[in-house]
Amino acid sequence: MVKIGFPSALITLLRLILGAFFIMSGYEKLLDLKFFGLVIAEYQILPSFLIPAIALLFSLCELLCGTMLLIDLFSRFSSSVMLCMMVIFIAAMINNVLRGLEHDCGCSQFLAQWFGQEEIGIGPIVRDILFFILLLPIALLGSNRIPWKKDRK
Amino acid sequence: MPLNIMTAKPLRRKLFAAVIILLSSISPSLSQLHAAESVAVAQGGTGELDLSATKALFDTHSICFVDARSEYVYYKSHLKGAISLSKSRFDEQFPDFRQKKSLDTFIVVYCSEASCGKARSVAKKLIQIGYKNVKVYTGGLIEWAHAGFPMEGSICLK
Repeated sequence: MVKIGFPSALITLLRLILGAFFIMSGYEKLLDLKFFGLVIAEYQILPSFLIPAIALLFSLCELLCGTMLLIDLFSRFSSSVMLCMMVIFIAAMINNVLRGLEHDCGCSQFLAQWFGQEEIGIGPIVRDILFFILLLPIALLGSNRIPWKKDRK
Repeated sequence: MPLNIMTAKPLRRKLFAAVIILLSSISPSLSQLHAAESVAVAQGGTGELDLSATKALFDTHSICFVDARSEYVYYKSHLKGAISLSKSRFDEQFPDFRQKKSLDTFIVVYCSEASCGKARSVAKKLIQIGYKNVKVYTGGLIEWAHAGFPMEGSICLK
Protein backbone atom coordinates (compact mmCIF):
# COMPACT_ATOMS: atom_id res chain seq x y z
CA MET A 1 0.00 0.00 0.00
CA VAL A 2 2.72 2.43 1.02
CA LYS A 3 4.75 3.80 -1.86
CA ILE A 4 6.98 6.79 -2.65
CA GLY A 5 9.50 5.75 0.00
CA PHE A 6 7.34 6.76 2.96
CA PRO A 7 7.93 4.05 5.60
CA SER A 8 4.75 2.27 6.68
CA ALA A 9 6.07 2.19 10.24
CA LEU A 10 6.07 6.00 10.28
CA ILE A 11 2.47 6.09 9.04
CA THR A 12 1.48 3.59 11.73
CA LEU A 13 3.23 5.71 14.36
CA LEU A 14 1.49 8.88 13.12
CA ARG A 15 -1.83 7.05 13.06
CA LEU A 16 -1.44 5.86 16.65
CA ILE A 17 -0.28 9.22 18.05
CA LEU A 18 -2.88 11.31 16.21
CA GLY A 19 -5.63 8.74 16.90
CA ALA A 20 -4.92 8.79 20.65
CA PHE A 21 -4.76 12.60 20.65
CA PHE A 22 -8.09 13.02 18.84
CA ILE A 23 -9.79 10.43 21.10
CA MET A 24 -8.72 12.36 24.22
CA SER A 25 -9.62 15.70 22.67
CA GLY A 26 -13.07 14.53 21.46
CA TYR A 27 -13.84 12.70 24.70
CA GLU A 28 -13.20 15.71 26.94
CA LYS A 29 -15.30 17.92 24.65
CA LEU A 30 -18.17 15.43 24.84
CA LEU A 31 -17.89 15.42 28.64
CA ASP A 32 -18.54 19.18 28.76
CA LEU A 33 -20.43 20.04 25.57
CA LYS A 34 -21.84 23.24 27.09
CA PHE A 35 -18.35 24.66 27.61
CA PHE A 36 -17.29 23.72 24.06
CA GLY A 37 -20.50 25.30 22.72
CA LEU A 38 -19.77 28.53 24.59
CA VAL A 39 -16.25 28.61 23.11
CA ILE A 40 -17.70 28.10 19.60
CA ALA A 41 -20.17 30.93 20.32
CA GLU A 42 -17.22 33.18 21.15
CA TYR A 43 -15.93 32.76 17.56
CA GLN A 44 -19.04 34.73 16.49
CA ILE A 45 -19.24 32.93 13.17
CA LEU A 46 -22.23 30.59 13.55
CA PRO A 47 -25.84 31.47 14.46
CA SER A 48 -26.70 30.55 18.07
CA PHE A 49 -29.24 27.86 17.18
CA LEU A 50 -26.59 25.85 15.29
CA ILE A 51 -23.97 25.93 18.04
CA PRO A 52 -25.12 22.95 20.21
CA ALA A 53 -25.40 20.72 17.10
CA ILE A 54 -21.99 21.80 15.77
CA ALA A 55 -20.39 21.26 19.20
CA LEU A 56 -21.78 17.71 19.27
CA LEU A 57 -20.81 17.03 15.65
CA PHE A 58 -17.19 18.22 16.08
CA SER A 59 -16.72 16.30 19.32
CA LEU A 60 -18.17 13.08 17.86
CA CYS A 61 -16.10 13.48 14.69
CA GLU A 62 -12.90 13.83 16.70
CA LEU A 63 -13.74 10.83 18.89
CA LEU A 64 -14.83 8.54 16.03
CA CYS A 65 -12.06 9.54 13.62
CA GLY A 66 -9.50 9.16 16.42
CA THR A 67 -10.81 5.67 17.18
CA MET A 68 -10.77 4.69 13.50
CA LEU A 69 -7.21 5.99 13.12
CA LEU A 70 -6.11 4.05 16.18
CA ILE A 71 -7.56 0.73 15.00
CA ASP A 72 -6.67 1.42 11.34
CA LEU A 73 -10.27 1.26 10.14
CA PHE A 74 -10.86 3.51 7.11
CA SER A 75 -7.75 5.49 8.05
CA ARG A 76 -7.66 7.46 4.80
CA PHE A 77 -11.29 8.46 5.16
CA SER A 78 -11.03 9.44 8.83
CA SER A 79 -7.78 11.37 8.32
CA SER A 80 -9.45 13.20 5.41
CA VAL A 81 -12.35 14.18 7.69
CA MET A 82 -9.84 15.42 10.28
CA LEU A 83 -7.99 17.35 7.55
CA CYS A 84 -11.25 19.15 6.71
CA MET A 85 -11.80 19.94 10.38
CA MET A 86 -8.26 21.31 10.70
CA VAL A 87 -8.89 23.59 7.71
CA ILE A 88 -12.09 24.86 9.40
CA PHE A 89 -10.29 25.44 12.74
CA ILE A 90 -7.34 27.22 11.09
CA ALA A 91 -9.63 29.42 8.98
CA ALA A 92 -11.82 30.30 12.00
CA MET A 93 -8.82 31.19 14.15
CA ILE A 94 -7.15 33.29 11.42
CA ASN A 95 -10.47 35.07 10.83
CA ASN A 96 -10.84 35.97 14.52
CA VAL A 97 -7.20 36.97 14.98
CA LEU A 98 -7.62 39.34 12.03
CA ARG A 99 -10.81 40.72 13.60
CA GLY A 100 -8.86 41.40 16.80
CA LEU A 101 -10.92 39.05 18.97
CA GLU A 102 -9.37 37.41 22.03
CA HIS A 103 -10.77 34.14 23.39
CA ASP A 104 -9.98 30.52 24.12
CA CYS A 105 -9.28 28.42 21.02
CA GLY A 106 -11.32 25.48 22.37
CA CYS A 107 -8.61 23.14 21.12
CA SER A 108 -7.93 20.64 23.88
CA GLN A 109 -8.56 21.09 27.57
CA PHE A 110 -6.19 18.33 28.65
CA LEU A 111 -3.30 20.31 27.12
CA ALA A 112 -4.58 23.41 28.92
CA GLN A 113 -4.13 21.57 32.23
CA TRP A 114 -0.36 21.60 31.62
CA PHE A 115 0.15 24.66 29.45
CA GLY A 116 -2.66 26.90 30.69
CA GLN A 117 -5.67 28.20 28.77
CA GLU A 118 -4.87 28.68 25.11
CA GLU A 119 -6.16 31.80 23.46
CA ILE A 120 -6.43 32.03 19.68
CA GLY A 121 -3.21 33.26 18.14
CA ILE A 122 -0.14 32.16 16.31
CA GLY A 123 0.58 29.18 18.67
CA PRO A 124 -2.68 27.23 18.14
CA ILE A 125 -2.71 28.13 14.42
CA VAL A 126 0.82 26.75 13.91
CA ARG A 127 -0.07 23.63 15.92
CA ASP A 128 -3.16 22.97 13.78
CA ILE A 129 -1.06 23.47 10.62
CA LEU A 130 1.37 20.90 12.06
CA PHE A 131 -1.54 18.48 12.63
CA PHE A 132 -2.62 19.11 9.04
CA ILE A 133 0.88 18.21 7.77
CA LEU A 134 1.00 15.10 9.97
CA LEU A 135 -2.43 13.95 8.78
CA LEU A 136 -1.54 14.34 5.09
CA PRO A 137 0.61 11.16 4.75
CA ILE A 138 -2.17 9.06 6.31
CA ALA A 139 -4.80 10.60 4.02
CA LEU A 140 -2.61 10.08 0.93
CA LEU A 141 -0.85 6.82 1.71
CA GLY A 142 -2.80 5.15 4.48
CA SER A 143 -5.28 2.34 4.03
CA ASN A 144 -9.05 2.14 3.81
CA ARG A 145 -9.08 -1.55 4.63
CA ILE A 146 -11.09 -3.27 7.33
CA PRO A 147 -8.54 -5.03 9.56
CA TRP A 148 -10.66 -7.99 10.62
CA LYS A 149 -11.65 -8.80 6.98
CA LYS A 150 -7.98 -9.05 6.07
CA ASP A 151 -7.41 -11.41 8.99
CA ARG A 152 -10.05 -13.83 7.69
CA LYS A 153 -8.26 -14.28 4.33
CA MET B 1 -68.83 44.19 73.44
CA PRO B 2 -66.57 43.15 76.35
CA LEU B 3 -65.97 39.93 74.48
CA ASN B 4 -64.79 41.89 71.45
CA ILE B 5 -62.31 43.88 73.52
CA MET B 6 -60.99 40.67 75.02
CA THR B 7 -60.39 39.15 71.60
CA ALA B 8 -59.13 42.38 70.01
CA LYS B 9 -56.35 42.97 72.56
CA PRO B 10 -54.49 39.71 71.93
CA LEU B 11 -54.91 40.32 68.21
CA ARG B 12 -53.37 43.79 68.51
CA ARG B 13 -50.55 42.37 70.60
CA LYS B 14 -49.93 39.71 67.98
CA LEU B 15 -49.98 42.29 65.20
CA PHE B 16 -47.63 44.56 67.16
CA ALA B 17 -45.27 41.64 67.80
CA ALA B 18 -45.37 40.67 64.13
CA VAL B 19 -44.50 44.23 63.06
CA ILE B 20 -41.60 44.34 65.57
CA ILE B 21 -40.27 40.99 64.32
CA LEU B 22 -40.61 42.09 60.69
CA LEU B 23 -38.81 45.39 61.31
CA SER B 24 -36.04 43.73 63.28
CA SER B 25 -35.45 41.23 60.49
CA ILE B 26 -35.38 43.91 57.80
CA SER B 27 -33.41 46.58 59.63
CA PRO B 28 -30.02 44.76 59.74
CA SER B 29 -30.07 44.22 55.99
CA LEU B 30 -31.28 47.78 55.42
CA SER B 31 -28.56 49.24 57.60
CA GLN B 32 -26.02 46.98 55.86
CA LEU B 33 -27.23 48.19 52.48
CA HIS B 34 -27.05 51.83 53.52
CA ALA B 35 -23.57 51.32 54.96
CA ALA B 36 -22.40 49.57 51.82
CA GLU B 37 -23.93 52.18 49.59
CA SER B 38 -22.28 54.98 51.58
CA VAL B 39 -18.93 53.21 51.12
CA ALA B 40 -19.66 52.82 47.43
CA VAL B 41 -20.70 56.44 47.09
CA ALA B 42 -17.62 57.57 49.02
CA GLN B 43 -15.37 55.73 46.58
CA GLY B 44 -17.63 56.08 43.64
CA GLY B 45 -16.30 59.35 42.28
CA THR B 46 -14.73 57.34 39.51
CA GLY B 47 -17.45 54.68 39.69
CA GLU B 48 -14.90 52.14 40.87
CA LEU B 49 -15.01 49.94 43.96
CA ASP B 50 -12.29 48.15 45.90
CA LEU B 51 -12.52 44.69 47.48
CA SER B 52 -13.95 45.75 50.85
CA ALA B 53 -16.61 48.00 49.32
CA THR B 54 -17.59 45.25 46.87
CA LYS B 55 -17.81 42.67 49.66
CA ALA B 56 -19.97 45.03 51.71
CA LEU B 57 -22.31 45.40 48.73
CA PHE B 58 -22.24 41.65 48.11
CA ASP B 59 -23.34 40.98 51.69
CA THR B 60 -26.47 43.06 51.20
CA HIS B 61 -27.73 40.47 48.66
CA SER B 62 -29.47 43.28 46.81
CA ILE B 63 -26.84 44.12 44.21
CA CYS B 64 -26.65 42.72 40.69
CA PHE B 65 -23.12 41.53 39.87
CA VAL B 66 -22.28 41.42 36.17
CA ASP B 67 -19.41 39.32 34.78
CA ALA B 68 -17.92 41.07 31.74
CA ARG B 69 -15.58 38.21 30.79
CA SER B 70 -16.38 35.74 28.01
CA GLU B 71 -19.30 33.43 28.72
CA TYR B 72 -17.20 30.24 28.65
CA VAL B 73 -14.91 31.63 31.39
CA TYR B 74 -17.98 32.68 33.39
CA TYR B 75 -19.29 29.10 33.03
CA LYS B 76 -16.11 27.74 34.64
CA SER B 77 -16.13 30.11 37.64
CA HIS B 78 -17.70 33.39 38.65
CA LEU B 79 -18.62 35.50 41.63
CA LYS B 80 -21.55 33.84 43.42
CA GLY B 81 -24.87 35.00 41.98
CA ALA B 82 -23.28 37.01 39.14
CA ILE B 83 -24.89 37.29 35.70
CA SER B 84 -22.90 36.92 32.49
CA LEU B 85 -22.90 39.95 30.20
CA SER B 86 -19.69 39.61 28.23
CA LYS B 87 -18.06 42.43 26.35
CA SER B 88 -17.55 40.16 23.33
CA ARG B 89 -21.21 39.04 23.04
CA PHE B 90 -22.89 42.03 24.68
CA ASP B 91 -25.45 42.53 21.90
CA GLU B 92 -26.58 38.88 22.01
CA GLN B 93 -26.81 38.68 25.80
CA PHE B 94 -28.20 42.14 26.58
CA PRO B 95 -31.90 41.60 25.58
CA ASP B 96 -32.19 38.80 28.15
CA PHE B 97 -30.41 40.94 30.78
CA ARG B 98 -32.72 43.90 30.07
CA GLN B 99 -35.79 41.74 30.68
CA LYS B 100 -34.47 40.69 34.09
CA LYS B 101 -32.99 43.96 35.35
CA SER B 102 -34.67 47.37 35.40
CA LEU B 103 -32.78 50.63 34.78
CA ASP B 104 -32.79 51.38 38.54
CA THR B 105 -30.91 48.21 39.46
CA PHE B 106 -27.63 48.75 41.34
CA ILE B 107 -25.06 47.00 39.15
CA VAL B 108 -21.44 46.12 39.90
CA VAL B 109 -19.43 45.01 36.85
CA TYR B 110 -16.19 43.04 37.12
CA CYS B 111 -13.78 41.11 34.91
CA SER B 112 -10.66 39.12 35.76
CA GLU B 113 -8.27 41.73 37.20
CA ALA B 114 -7.46 45.43 37.39
CA SER B 115 -5.64 45.50 34.03
CA CYS B 116 -8.65 43.95 32.27
CA GLY B 117 -10.68 46.65 30.55
CA LYS B 118 -13.79 44.56 29.85
CA ALA B 119 -15.61 45.64 33.04
CA ARG B 120 -15.16 49.35 32.29
CA SER B 121 -16.28 48.81 28.72
CA VAL B 122 -19.48 46.94 29.74
CA ALA B 123 -20.18 49.50 32.50
CA LYS B 124 -19.86 52.30 29.95
CA LYS B 125 -22.31 50.57 27.61
CA LEU B 126 -24.82 50.02 30.45
CA ILE B 127 -24.61 53.70 31.47
CA GLN B 128 -25.10 54.75 27.83
CA ILE B 129 -28.20 52.54 27.64
CA GLY B 130 -29.66 54.25 30.71
CA TYR B 131 -28.66 52.27 33.79
CA LYS B 132 -28.19 54.82 36.57
CA ASN B 133 -26.32 52.91 39.27
CA VAL B 134 -23.36 51.20 37.63
CA LYS B 135 -20.03 50.65 39.39
CA VAL B 136 -16.89 48.74 38.45
CA TYR B 137 -15.14 46.35 40.82
CA THR B 138 -11.55 46.91 39.70
CA GLY B 139 -9.86 44.02 41.55
CA GLY B 140 -11.84 41.49 39.56
CA LEU B 141 -12.37 37.79 40.10
CA ILE B 142 -8.71 37.00 40.80
CA GLU B 143 -8.63 39.34 43.82
CA TRP B 144 -12.07 38.07 44.93
CA ALA B 145 -10.91 34.44 44.73
CA HIS B 146 -7.65 35.17 46.58
CA ALA B 147 -9.69 36.73 49.38
CA GLY B 148 -11.63 33.46 49.62
CA PHE B 149 -15.01 35.08 49.01
CA PRO B 150 -17.99 33.10 47.60
CA MET B 151 -17.73 31.82 44.04
CA GLU B 152 -19.57 29.31 41.89
CA GLY B 153 -19.28 27.63 38.49
CA SER B 154 -18.46 24.25 36.95
CA ILE B 155 -14.91 24.24 38.40
CA CYS B 156 -16.17 25.15 41.88
CA LEU B 157 -18.74 22.35 41.78
CA LYS B 158 -16.15 19.65 41.06
